[in-house]
Amino acid sequence: MEILTKRYWWLGLVFIGALVLPLVVGEFWVHVAIEILILGLFAVSFNMIFGNMGQLSFGHAAYYGVGAYATGLLMVRASVPLPICLAASMVAAGICALILGYFCVRLTGIYFAILTLAFGQLLYYIIFQWYSFTRGDDGLQGIIPPGALFSATYYYYFTLFIVTGALIAMWYVNESPFGYTMRAIRENADRTRFIGINVRRYMLINFVVAGMFAGLAGGLWGPFNRSIAPDLCNWHQSGIPVFMTVIGGPLGFFGPMIGSIIYTFLMAFVTGFTEYWPLTIGLVIMFVVLFLPGGVLGLVEQKMKVFRSRDLETRGDRSAETGSS
Amino acid sequence: MSGEVILNVENLNKAFGGLQATDNVSYEMMTGELSAIIGPNGAGKSTFFNLITGYHAVDSGKVFFKDRDITNWPPHKITRLGIARAFQVSNIYPRLTTYENVRQATLAQQRRTLNFFTPANRLAKKETMQLLEITGLSQQANMISGNLSQGDKKRLELAIALGSKPELVFLDEPTAGMSGEETHETMELVKRLNREIGLTILFTEHDMSVVFGYARRLTVLHQGAVIAEGTPEEVRDNEEAQRVYLGEEA
Repeated sequence: MEILTKRYWWLGLVFIGALVLPLVVGEFWVHVAIEILILGLFAVSFNMIFGNMGQLSFGHAAYYGVGAYATGLLMVRASVPLPICLAASMVAAGICALILGYFCVRLTGIYFAILTLAFGQLLYYIIFQWYSFTRGDDGLQGIIPPGALFSATYYYYFTLFIVTGALIAMWYVNESPFGYTMRAIRENADRTRFIGINVRRYMLINFVVAGMFAGLAGGLWGPFNRSIAPDLCNWHQSGIPVFMTVIGGPLGFFGPMIGSIIYTFLMAFVTGFTEYWPLTIGLVIMFVVLFLPGGVLGLVEQKMKVFRSRDLETRGDRSAETGSS
Repeated sequence: MSGEVILNVENLNKAFGGLQATDNVSYEMMTGELSAIIGPNGAGKSTFFNLITGYHAVDSGKVFFKDRDITNWPPHKITRLGIARAFQVSNIYPRLTTYENVRQATLAQQRRTLNFFTPANRLAKKETMQLLEITGLSQQANMISGNLSQGDKKRLELAIALGSKPELVFLDEPTAGMSGEETHETMELVKRLNREIGLTILFTEHDMSVVFGYARRLTVLHQGAVIAEGTPEEVRDNEEAQRVYLGEEA
């Protein structure tokens, strides 16, 4: 516990920074910050499958989109209160992930990636075509957050509150026996079978949990953007958490969140004066893949490790060099 | 406990393509045995373990564990029933620490792997440390297991297998890659586990001094079939066994 507080003191600073942010920046950057939080949650949920389970889901937007439509439809058609909508988003995305994941976890590697992509596109076309229910290509407009949340600042605090809660929950899952079991499956699925674990079932549970948090992120998006469209399910959208995770680093819990900060901030900044955003992000990804294979967080951890092992060497305490996390 | 049939294999067959890897093998083990399966490379020792533990599907034949038909059960169910194994080529979690490797097996054995909310580092401490201690890995607890020496990796294999608290354990060449001293230590541990906690153990081994020094019963496999069985002395005197295997050594 002591190590935990020592190691993560900076999180407190980040949170305080996040709290005072709307007081020091203009409304445009508050919007950017909301986007960072929502997409960051989406990316961290993606990384439960990519980083922890070791499988690349290329259709994670399916659950994000289902979450967005669950909240959007309930708010627009039935005026359901937002918190209930968000809970419904998690449930709806979880059910979708359960049904589609049942098939996906039978495969691994490239086949897993392709099947998740195919299912993602399937959901996209369903939402696109089912005009009477989803209004297809027109999307849903007028998803207005209730009361005080109408203001960007308050919606920011609301999002910060929900995303922080979700991150804490995911952190616990990550550190729990279940989280370690996912890492065990990533490292060596065969061995994991031989210690008595039903690997497929655990992969499915993880897929569902990741889908639920993606659904929550999607649910937060609609009222922020005031409208949603089928594109939220599209494979472009599935690429976003992949980019963010690659940039931030998949092996640390906060990697995708750091990736979201860099990606979203950069996008807001770059699109301000050029339309060549895809080119820019392409160059960034190329740079990261070539020079920072562990992402930004990987680089930081590497530097920290060098620093720590030096510190330990001077004390002659070599055995604790790789000290448990 | 001792004297009951714990494992009963009847007429087991498995072919890979045209190769008959397991040829009509029948085998019986009593609770409390410490026995070995020997045979030249490719004799079908590992395949035999793989068939019993559910890694490969059998072509025909039956496997009973304590009178229960476990033929073609999935590995995780067989493990939960009380059969564990240590692999020939160390089969660990290379990017996790030694401690985390063993803890994972212990958590699975304690049915705690569906716990989402308690940090894993608060659980199964005592059991994990105990396993590390008896396998002589306490000093390496915090090392990334991929960086362990070959001998230590094999010991970790054993620790993981023991983490499942099995009644019957298969050790596939438990001392492969170990120095003479390490081999002796490991086999003494195996003997202790058998004597003191009554673990039933079946192992394969290349080193004949290990086999004759520790196993109380030997089975010789050749081209997938059992060609001799008995006490070490009986097998040593068996002509066919001498011809296919021991002859090379003597």
